[in-house]
Amino acid sequence: MGKKVLIVDDDPDVIMFVTSLLEGENCKLVVAKNGEEAMAKVKEDKPDLIILDVLMPKESGIRMYRELKTTKSLKDIPVLIYSGISKRTFLRSQATLAEFGGEPVPAPEAYIEKPGEPEDILNTARELLTQSSQPK
Amino acid sequence: MSKLLLIDDEEGVRKIFSLYLRKEGYDVLTAEDGEKGLRIFEREKPPLVLTDIKMPGMNGVEVLKKIKEIDEETEVIIITGHGDMDLAIQSLKFGASDFITKPINDEALSIALERAKERWNMRKKLKEYTFDLEKMIEAATEEMRRRYEFENKLIQSSIDGIVATDEKGVIVIYNKGAEAIFGYPRNEVVRKMSIFDLYPPWIAEKFRECLLHKKCKRLYNWDQTTIIRKDTQQIPVAFSGAILFEKKEIIGSVGFIHDLTKIKHLEEELIKSERLAAIGQTVAGLAHYIKNVLIGLKGGAYIVNSAIEKKDINALKNGWKMVERSIHKISTLTLDLLSYSKKREPQYQRCLPNNIIEEICSLFETHANRHNIGIIKKFDNSISEVYMDSEALHRCTLNLISNAIDACICDHNYHDKEKSWFVEVKTILEENNRIRVEVTDNGCGMDENTKNRLFTSFFSTKGGKGTGLGLLVTQKIISELGGTIEVQSELGKGSTFTIRLPYKKMEN
Repeated sequence: MGKKVLIVDDDPDVIMFVTSLLEGENCKLVVAKNGEEAMAKVKEDKPDLIILDVLMPKESGIRMYRELKTTKSLKDIPVLIYSGISKRTFLRSQATLAEFGGEPVPAPEAYIEKPGEPEDILNTARELLTQSSQPK
Repeated sequence: MSKLLLIDDEEGVRKIFSLYLRKEGYDVLTAEDGEKGLRIFEREKPPLVLTDIKMPGMNGVEVLKKIKEIDEETEVIIITGHGDMDLAIQSLKFGASDFITKPINDEALSIALERAKERWNMRKKLKEYTFDLEKMIEAATEEMRRRYEFENKLIQSSIDGIVATDEKGVIVIYNKGAEAIFGYPRNEVVRKMSIFDLYPPWIAEKFRECLLHKKCKRLYNWDQTTIIRKDTQQIPVAFSGAILFEKKEIIGSVGFIHDLTKIKHLEEELIKSERLAAIGQTVAGLAHYIKNVLIGLKGGAYIVNSAIEKKDINALKNGWKMVERSIHKISTLTLDLLSYSKKREPQYQRCLPNNIIEEICSLFETHANRHNIGIIKKFDNSISEVYMDSEALHRCTLNLISNAIDACICDHNYHDKEKSWFVEVKTILEENNRIRVEVTDNGCGMDENTKNRLFTSFFSTKGGKGTGLGLLVTQKIISELGGTIEVQSELGKGSTFTIRLPYKKMEN
């Protein structure tokens, strides 16, 4: 074991669902209920994959994603966005932030719209974990 | 005026005169008879002619007539002998300027010439003056025409209707804009109709008072009204009118009519599109919420399935709980939607309001404790058993307490261990048969924007976890009961929701 996955979502049901999905994957699962808590956990111990919700009452996934992708030491962590909002809306919000003086950020490594198929989530997570183990 | 034609059959006379006249500064042309004289005249056009009256061939009077025919302006002086008085007088009738008698006296000639010259000059000036005057009148007329044309075009090209009348209200100006609005063609209106037949009755009445009864001096500014067209179609317009005066005398009236059809149409379109946008937002919000419920169902099903495979009873329980929670969520949503869309008849029944609220508080106790939130109860003991809509009280208070707990959990400083979170629930018996319920929290609070949107749409700050229906339903139930709901909130400090519900006293 050695791979570490951070799951960020304010909905306990989603956390429970994603954790049970990844249970058999031989990796350490860490959960956070919002962006703020998640960033603290990222800085504490860098994960190999982040599964991130977008709409959360406290620091949103939009802000957290920006922070991740604009921090040199964190920008290579693959991010799987798992959210109720569409990818188009997410990218548009990032583009708007970039337009208002923010740095442009790359598109996330993977994007799955909720609810999504369990197999899709699992396969995508596996793929990203394999990629992150290869040297860049 | 220096050219002069001298006609005389006597060579001696011609010579002497010529000498004298040249000395006086004239350019003298001479002819020995009338015919030759006329030829020279036609060629040279001298302004002054001296002609003998008695000549062989054409006589002086005939020469005079011919010259006057050719150029009326020419000054002709007749030279007469002693016995030619009758002829001389006749010549004056034909327009001779003067006559002098032979033998010619230099002085008399000078005077005659001088007078002729003066007359000629005078006439020339008069002619010039008349000419100038004519030019000026022409220019002024042209200018007036141009201005009239300009104003006419101005009036005609106005999109707004312009209708002007004389002092009796008879229409004299009626432009294309007016044609389009009223539907009557110009030729049926101008000088044939009065504004009293054209304008809406109440406007016509005002004009009648002003024009015919001279009761007012000014009319009004833009007023919205409806005009009934020739084809009976109704046109919304803005109308502005004025009475026209000249030296305090009424000379007519003018009305400006602005067609509002398009604006009205645009307004309607706007309302329609706003409504569609609201529906769109509502549907999107609902879809989002349902998506979240779906995760619970799908996730729960997944967990249940894999638990059955692994024969893991604990996982099975967790999965099933998730499915149950989702079922609960969807039933709440359906109930909320129904309450929102249907009119609910208040159902008054015997109840103890404080007990109902006590029950709700205990319902939330565990949940609140888990999040370190204390529920403070301050109930008014003077509230006894009453008749009231207990279900309404239950649902509204439940919604407010649930929101208050969420507000504490949502707060950015939620992890601040020093802060003690609370939700305070207060009941107060008010005058006018009302019970006031106050739910206060020291959670995240709201900014103005959020406060303004609270009751306006399916608006939620709880990420994808709220439908925004809760407060809408609460508000609807309260207003159906004739109660009120108020909000006080400050960002970062907390909120207080106050509801007032009516009750009826129990009759002993």
